[in-house]
Amino acid sequence: MSLAASPAGVQRTRRSLDKALMQLRAERVATLQVNLGRICNQACRHCHVEASPSRTELMADAVVDACLSVLERHPQIATLDVTAGAPELHPRFREIVEHARHLGRSVLVRHNLTVQSEPGHGDLPDFFASRKAELVCSLPHYLAEATDRQRGPGVFAGSIRGLRALNAVGYGRGDGLPLTLVANPVGAFLPPHQEDLERDTREHLKRQHDVTFDRLIVITNMPIGRFADWLERTGQYDEYLDRLERAYNRQTLPNLMCRTLLSVGYDGRLFDCDFNQMLDLELAGRCPQTIEEFDMAALAERPIRVGEHCLGCTAGSGSSCGGALT
Amino acid sequence: MGAYFDDKDLAHFGDLKQHNPELWGQFERYYAAAFEPGLLSKREKILIGFAVAQTSQCPYCIDSYTQQALEQGLTMKHLAEVLHAGAALKAGIALAHGLVAHNVDKKVSM
Repeated sequence: MSLAASPAGVQRTRRSLDKALMQLRAERVATLQVNLGRICNQACRHCHVEASPSRTELMADAVVDACLSVLERHPQIATLDVTAGAPELHPRFREIVEHARHLGRSVLVRHNLTVQSEPGHGDLPDFFASRKAELVCSLPHYLAEATDRQRGPGVFAGSIRGLRALNAVGYGRGDGLPLTLVANPVGAFLPPHQEDLERDTREHLKRQHDVTFDRLIVITNMPIGRFADWLERTGQYDEYLDRLERAYNRQTLPNLMCRTLLSVGYDGRLFDCDFNQMLDLELAGRCPQTIEEFDMAALAERPIRVGEHCLGCTAGSGSSCGGALT
Repeated sequence: MGAYFDDKDLAHFGDLKQHNPELWGQFERYYAAAFEPGLLSKREKILIGFAVAQTSQCPYCIDSYTQQALEQGLTMKHLAEVLHAGAALKAGIALAHGLVAHNVDKKVSM
């Protein structure tokens, strides 16, 4: 280990990573994850995208068209994963969902629940249901005080209203409209066991709020973006990385999301995951670098760019956009 | 030595092993086995650990068991309930010891 300066000028311990992690390669591209931009109706304290209402970056029309064209040409990409910010705030969001569904692809929307309250978005539950989109909704904790501490005052109450609206159109009732909740720690510690938190959340939300959902996944807070800034401001960056390093679990490697996912930035650049995108870690080697240059043969088994932030995905039971890995 | 209690001390707890490795090893095995999930879940045992840490006023254990509880999906709201339950029991224990005075008084006083 040695010391390196962070972007904020704070000394960080430079860590050596497991050789097996360093040699990680993708095995296929089954999911295209498109990040439509940085704009969001919320400004969560841990957001790795550093999204907020004041951000203006949005995926350009030409990039949207290129993403849809890639989907059309490559039926082996079974899932379109739509994220941002709040992806619903992109002017072509609904067209993107409709187009991908028309192509017969699964569409997974990373939905923050409160965006339903934004002007012009009140009918999102009906839209989602009519297109049979799968929803992955952020709810860090089943208690209001914990969720609001991370996502802002009143977000928990708004999220419960959003969940009720989704339940009302059939989401989260186990009959074909899947509603997954995503929980993450409100602080510098690892997430609980997924099954335990799912059980507690299910009981609490049903009893206190008459809300149901299908599945809960836990994700580890990644030491990048606003969360990394907070770790540094509070002098916990190295301590948190120590914690992730101690919990390193090689068994997570076969299931890491970067092995089957390709991430597209709002500017059309390609990355191994949304986290590498935020760190500006472009694809390794001679891979195509933009969605316009998409080449399945060159991308399917590409080497993965790894860094110490990958310790977030490999700690404990592992972490991914699909939850725990082991 | 700057202070009696330092949060960095916890990482050196195992240094005590050098003074009696055999007994230390037995302690480690016993500790690990006692906290394995059994009829009680791991989370229940962590909450017991937290209550004992608080009522025994061990800063190292309070630090450790608070963090373990957070990693079980619990929050300070949950821990506050444990804290008050432990404090109430301690208050009851203090009051119950009043029975000794009560009984002594009954015996020796006219």
